[in-house]
Amino acid sequence: MILGMLPHHQPTTPARRRLVVFLGQYGTIVGLVLMVVFFSLARPAIFPTWNNLINVVNQVSLTAIIAVGLTMPLAVGEFDLSIGYAASLAGVLVAGLMVNQGVPWPAAVAAVLALGALIGLVNGLFITKAGVNALIATLGTGTILVGFNYAYTGGSAIAFGLPDAFRVLTARGVLGIPNTIFIMAGIVTVLWILLNRTDLGQSIQAVGGNPVAAALSGIRVERVKTIAFVVSGLCAALTGILLTARIGSGESTAGDGFLLDAMAAAFLGSATLRDGEFHVLGTLIGVLIVGIGFNGLNILNVPTFSQFFLKGAMLIVAVALSSIARRHAKA
Amino acid sequence: MTGSPAYGSNSAMPESAPAGAGMDVGARAVAARAPLLEVRGLTKAFGGVQALRGVDFDVRPGEVHGLVGANGAGKSTLIRTLAGVQRPDGGTILIDGSPVEILDPQHATRLGLNFIHQELNQVPKFSALENLILGLDKPTRAGLIDWVAVRRDVAPVVERLGMTFSLDTPVEQLSVAERWLIAIGHALVHRARLIAMDEPTASLSAEEVGRLFGIVRELARDGIAVIYVSHRLDEIIELCDRTTVLKDGQLAASFDRSNVTKEALITAIAGGEIETTVAGSASAASARPVLEVRSLRRLPAVRDVSFTVHEGEILGLGGLVGSGRTEVARLVFGADRLEAGEVSLDGRPIRLRGVADAVRLGIGLVPEERRSQGLVLRQTVAANLALPHLARFRIVPRLPLISLARMRSEARQIAQRLQIKAPSVTAIVGELSGGNQQKVVIGKWLGGQVRVLILDEPTRGVDVGARAEIHRSLRELASSGTAILVISSDEEELPGLCDRVLVMVEGAIAGELRGPKITRQAIRRLSYAHTQGGLVA
Repeated sequence: MILGMLPHHQPTTPARRRLVVFLGQYGTIVGLVLMVVFFSLARPAIFPTWNNLINVVNQVSLTAIIAVGLTMPLAVGEFDLSIGYAASLAGVLVAGLMVNQGVPWPAAVAAVLALGALIGLVNGLFITKAGVNALIATLGTGTILVGFNYAYTGGSAIAFGLPDAFRVLTARGVLGIPNTIFIMAGIVTVLWILLNRTDLGQSIQAVGGNPVAAALSGIRVERVKTIAFVVSGLCAALTGILLTARIGSGESTAGDGFLLDAMAAAFLGSATLRDGEFHVLGTLIGVLIVGIGFNGLNILNVPTFSQFFLKGAMLIVAVALSSIARRHAKA
Repeated sequence: MTGSPAYGSNSAMPESAPAGAGMDVGARAVAARAPLLEVRGLTKAFGGVQALRGVDFDVRPGEVHGLVGANGAGKSTLIRTLAGVQRPDGGTILIDGSPVEILDPQHATRLGLNFIHQELNQVPKFSALENLILGLDKPTRAGLIDWVAVRRDVAPVVERLGMTFSLDTPVEQLSVAERWLIAIGHALVHRARLIAMDEPTASLSAEEVGRLFGIVRELARDGIAVIYVSHRLDEIIELCDRTTVLKDGQLAASFDRSNVTKEALITAIAGGEIETTVAGSASAASARPVLEVRSLRRLPAVRDVSFTVHEGEILGLGGLVGSGRTEVARLVFGADRLEAGEVSLDGRPIRLRGVADAVRLGIGLVPEERRSQGLVLRQTVAANLALPHLARFRIVPRLPLISLARMRSEARQIAQRLQIKAPSVTAIVGELSGGNQQKVVIGKWLGGQVRVLILDEPTRGVDVGARAEIHRSLRELASSGTAILVISSDEEELPGLCDRVLVMVEGAIAGELRGPKITRQAIRRLSYAHTQGGLVA
């Protein structure tokens, strides 16, 4: 009866469907390759060089660390919005402990890492024991961390008196490659193994896939979720520490922006290779896309403000890709 | 769709059969009608799997058309295609003789095709009324929904289906039978010309099934076509005017009321490959008790339950849906806390603080809902099978590193033992057929040292072939010493499978049956034997 009035849709042919699936799984990688090719052709003298490669990877290392950490709460089906604020607090605190309290740098680093784990633990307990929605819980703890941050610093940077030994964390090391890159590679490797080759990782994936089935299989869902938040807190703290070492001062808001970058990277990554599942390798590819995009635009001398357009758009596109991938997985 | 809001008037329906016409007259009138829906040469493939290979199928107005077949035979694919959830690769769908392309589920509804899935896609918190008119353009008054008009418009449907409960009740508080009425009512207010029902009786009691049949027959008398998908062949034979059997994505046979028999259906479904009737169970049970349960209580569902399962024994737990059987299973498995009572395993009293404790002690549960409770659908067969005992796959006991290769090789053994049909153990579980998914849920407990295995509706929605295989596996498992507790609402299941059956009524054990005394009639009689003394306050 109503048929005549409906627009005639083209049926989805198998070929077209295959293309959609391919783009879903490999689209991000294709995008990455195209971007590299484009920038290389546009600026052959600057972009495709060893120095620029090291430069880009070094730049994205901190984002990579915080983003693979964030991948854990995302993989158990939760969110962590506190990581940017946690990184900022870790950054000023590690500087303060060394400069104001005269704590030796390894002890300061260890203490701040412990604080990161504690932040994750608190997040995890609020979410699993008190049943607070993860978005709200981590937004709340994140805001409280901002309060601690200002209480400690009064809003001003801790800029002078950082021990040189501390800055070895981000200095150039073997082959002239910055140590940050080695640390990042180590963290990514460890978390990849954690998620893919340990019983905890299998549990994380099961909890993210179906928490009810996981619980009825004897997996301690609350514990697994809490551990995911602890990992995320640790990575956020480490990112804050490395940031302070890199810029040479502890600044109150320096880490805040990592949240969006990490989120964009993780969601881009979830649409990569797997159907909407969060995984470490995907997140790393997501980080590279975001990083290389910015690096290329810099080299092309595109004005800074347009990078915000790119960043915002990327976040939305990433989440869209991820949900398309998930929908295809269901069909 | 806009139009007059007189829901349920079925103005688009062809002339109904004359009221009061006898069954035979009605059937003849049906046979004479042109098909409402016709499917020709429908094909559909998923990846390398050809789910439909040229299916021909038609439904006439006013007939109840049974659709049966083993899991993976293509029933679900056919239904999903008609519902507009997925597009066919080839073939034609005709409505009233003219070809249509069903674009999406909303379009299917506009064409008069309605689909009621086993899970009843309702909004639990919404009232019966709101669910009844879900997705419909509502009459408004000054921009607000005019509930008076809505109630007036649905009144004929409510009366026709004999809904006696308040329409303001949230559906989560209604019984499954009442929710089915709402689902059918929902189809009627959308002016359904065809209603497809997927396993409608899976969770209904015998009495409720009777009522549902009455309603289905009435719908057919009013000219509505009904596609009735079920594994319960007795019901198909009783209810359906015609029955189509699918096998391997093709039409295997079709019957009408005059020539359908259970044997013929089973032969067509199974293709003669599989043993269909289960021989009397070999009683391997010894006298050694494995699981002892004393005075279990968790109100309101479980009042006072005591029983013992012995080594190698298959104990059945029968009774009506809602008699407290699932709740007993959850208590023994540590998923809920006991209010009172004791549980012992191999003679030692145990106190479970959670499911993890139960699993560690060797108690396994195959839950009622395999997709939502039993499986991580997007993960592989191997990952699902390993889930309850991940730590066993550690390369070194102290380190959390696991060997995926060992996980897969053990999964292959279990898959072989249970005859799980999957391309490989790295296949995604969500892509397997229902029967094979159920085997994976059972297989999860075969990897460890399972002392007690509790199965809640182990073969619900599973085809006859897979069902026989599951029963055989359970018997093998019992003969290796595991104590097995089976909960089933399927009257045919417990008699063939169990050494002993307990029947629960209102949270307590009403009686026990052994060996040859385990019959459908006996279980049914006990199910209605309400205990003396009334309910505990």
